[in-house]
Order: sequence, then C-alpha cells, then structure tokens
Amino acid sequence: MYRIPTDRPEHPVFYAGRFSEEVTDAGMPADHIVLSDWDVLPAQLTSALERASVLVVLDMFSFPFESLTGDLVDVPLILLLPSGLDANFLATVFGKAAFARLGFFDRIAASDDGLWAELRRKYDLTEGQRVEVEDDRPEHAASEIRAALEAEFALHATFGEGDYEADRYWAERGDALAGNAPHRAICSVNHSPRFNKAIHRVQAKTLRPQFAAARGTQTEEVPFDVLEVGAGVGRWAASFDLAKTRFTGVDISVGMVEAARHNFPQCNFDLLGEEPVLPYGDESFDLSFSVTVMHHNPTPTKRALISEMWRVTRPGGRLMFLEDFVSGEWSARSTVYPMSVTKFVELLVEATAGQVVLDHVESIRYQHDDFTRGGLLSVSKLGVAKTW
Amino acid sequence: MSENDFYTPSELDRLRMENELLAFEVRFLKARSGGPAEVAASSVSLSRMTHLEEAETDLKLLLRRIRNSPLGLLARTNRNFRTLTDRYLDRSDDVMSKSPPQRLAYLEGAKRDLVLLLGRLGRGPLGVMFRRRKSFRTLQERYL
Repeated sequence: MYRIPTDRPEHPVFYAGRFSEEVTDAGMPADHIVLSDWDVLPAQLTSALERASVLVVLDMFSFPFESLTGDLVDVPLILLLPSGLDANFLATVFGKAAFARLGFFDRIAASDDGLWAELRRKYDLTEGQRVEVEDDRPEHAASEIRAALEAEFALHATFGEGDYEADRYWAERGDALAGNAPHRAICSVNHSPRFNKAIHRVQAKTLRPQFAAARGTQTEEVPFDVLEVGAGVGRWAASFDLAKTRFTGVDISVGMVEAARHNFPQCNFDLLGEEPVLPYGDESFDLSFSVTVMHHNPTPTKRALISEMWRVTRPGGRLMFLEDFVSGEWSARSTVYPMSVTKFVELLVEATAGQVVLDHVESIRYQHDDFTRGGLLSVSKLGVAKTW
Repeated sequence: MSENDFYTPSELDRLRMENELLAFEVRFLKARSGGPAEVAASSVSLSRMTHLEEAETDLKLLLRRIRNSPLGLLARTNRNFRTLTDRYLDRSDDVMSKSPPQRLAYLEGAKRDLVLLLGRLGRGPLGVMFRRRKSFRTLQERYL
C-alpha cells in the first residue's frame, strides 16, 4: 500500500553554505529550509533532507555530494553554477562528484547560455533540465529558483473532468503540463518530484540492462532504431547512446511532443492521431517499448497498440512492456484498467498471432509499496524480414 | 480514482494478481535456468501453458468440491476418483519440483483428465443434477 505522509509534508531545502546569512536575509517562506555549511555533516544532512522535495545547492564548492547516498539519491537536485568559471574548470572540479550523477529529474540553474550549452553537451543534459536565472549570486538566484518551483506547483490541472477517457485525458494532461511543469507530467502528476524520481530510478534499474540486451550483438556501426510509445517528454531517450541510436517517440499530446523535441532535438518525436495507428512503415525498428502506458488504456486500445508495435518491429527485434499488473476494479473515474500478467500475455499472443518468444520477465516493487505492482515483459518478434 | 490516488486493490484482487505475476516470473526463471532448449520450449507456448494451468486449477476445484460435498463419500468408493484426488490434490506439491517438460506433460494430463471427468459426470446418473449448476455448465462450455 502506498503510504503518503500527511502529517509532515515535503518542502524544498536550500543549501546556501557560506552564503546562508545572505540567503536567509533575502527572505524565504517558513516551510523552506536553509542550510549553512555547518549543517551538512552526514547525520545532520540525512535528517535535514528526510522530508526534502528538492535540494537546491547554491554553494557547490562547500557541499558534500558524496554524502548523498541511500534514500537521499532520490532527492532531486538543482545545482546553481558558480559565477565566473568556465565549463572545463567546473567539469574538473564537479564532473564526477556532481554533474555525472545528474539524472532526468535533476536540474542546473545557469545564467550563462554559453556555459550551459557546453555543460549540456558534455553531460548529455536536456533543455528541460535548465532553470534559467538572471542573476547567479546565491541570494538572488535562490529567489528566482523558489519562484520557478512555486510556479511549477501552483499550476492547477484542469484536465480529467468527468468520466475517464484515456486518449482525451492524456492529451489534455500533457498539454496542460508541457509548458510550465514538464517534470510533473512524468509518473504521478501531484506527487513530489522526489517520489517521481524514486519511481524512475526503480524503472531504470530494470529497463536499462534490457535496452542493452536488445542492442545485443548488433554491430555499433549500424544505427539502433528505437521506438517509444507514449514517450511524454522523452525521459527514456536519455538511457540510450544517441550517437549510435535513432530514437523515435510517439505521444498523444501536442505539448508533450513539443517538449520532447525541445529536450532531444537529435531525436524524432511524432504525434499519434486519434486512431492507435503508428505512423511508421513495417519493420522499421529494432526495439519498440512502452512504460506505464498500456495499463491506462482499455483492452481494445491495448490490443491495437501491441499489434502496431509488433508490425513496426523488425523480426528478431524486441518489444518491451513495463506495466502495472496488479490493480483493483475499474471504475468510470479510474485511470487504470486492471489486467493481470496472464491476461496481458494472452492479449500479447493474440495481438501478435503468437509470433513472439518470451525473452525476459521481471517483477517490479516500488519502494513506496508493500506489494509487487509492476512487471517488465520483453519478447522477441519471430519471422523473416520482408526486406533485406 | 485519479492517477494520483495510487490505487489500493481489494485484498483478494491484489493477492490473486500479485500471485499471478510472481508465479509467472518464477516459471520464466525456472525455464531459463533449465537451459536454452527449455527456454525455447516454454516460450513458444505461453498461451498454451496459461490455458493448461487454468485447466489444472479448474480440475482441482472440481475434485475438491466433489470430495467435500455429500456425494464425496460415494465418490471415494470409485477407484478412478481416488486416483485423481491422489494425483491432483494430495501430491500436487511435487509438481513444483518437476522440470519444465515434465510439468508440461503433467498439465496436459490434467487437462485430459478434466475433459474425461466432465464428460463422465455430465452423462452419468447424476448428470442432470450437475448440469443444473451454473459453474458446471461453465466448465463444460470451456472444455467440452
């Protein structure tokens, strides 16, 4: 059962280090915690970050990044780049300790476009990971970052009125969040970024080895063609070496497709029309996958999407589905259509006329649950290629 | 329930679906540890395995119901019935230790026995009484 702590809500934590007095004097809401360089001994840091929704590091030089271990790795980071330093220097000092550990849910606050572009290139960051600030002095940047975070979470979602219809709901949801709060569009919209980062970490741990296995022995000189169905803002594109992969994503929301193109300009993102028909030719991809998409759709849509994914995958290529297979009864307001793994496999066999072989099964237990909810199914497509 | 209200399935649904998921994973891992040939054998017939396992569950349920009903005493005097209960109820734990090909053979046998049992029960002197029960008719429609 998911346990939402209601008595102690999560709140942003600002590590101001040597600038704590200036940042405190600049004014912070009562529920925001400001830490100085005396507050980050390992035991103190663990306690201070216990309920942190996000950690904003305003003084990178004095922050002990090596202390972020255990549950603390799930706290999303926003790093303010120190002013007056070039990318090479920053990479030398913070490369391994800080930048290399940044994931899709972590961000960088930068005022200098050139510096940001250089770091972005060096560490495969996305445009969505930048928090743009005008003044990079900690006390001013703190106010700008705080305002950005408040704006992100002040957005009242208006989608999802009335009974649940999967395509309408996800199109409206994506469009509503794409502009101001793209990170909220991932996983669970009203849960904190920390919760979503934790879910992403568990999913990534399961998926990445399978992505590598799907690439298998294929020579690296041949581009690896990948399709994600329900790509959202494109978070899984970051799991591939994009120099050797042709990543394509398809989504039902115009806003999400635009956000994904902004994040990964080197990839291809397309809009899925009203009908669940993928706009690609037969046998176009080596890997087609979806992450928590199928369980939000009724059975006929699931069947159509699986069939389409099978059609566009090359023989010998893989299809992967990371979905929830444990759920309650469906109601008109529910966004989840329950389907057990057995039923899903039956559907998979039916939609592909049995032309698949099971490659991998892995159950997934999220850290907030006391039961196993999700699972990854990976199958290979049988058959002989139509074209050589 | 919106997507944020992480659903809490009712206890029975949750247990059943979670059990299915974990059992499916265990079956896959067992098949994989058996070697490449067994992986292929088990992978090709996923839907078939599912169907056979359902048949085995239905057979067990049917045997248990008959054994616990007032007819149980009469049924136990029949040697064939005793063989079935011995094979599928009393020694069913042995199945988990079987290799994938043995397990497949066991499940196919269970399906055959279920078809035979349904046929005999439906035709016998008590057939009318059985056919009046909806669950029995469902089984007949599914397997005969």
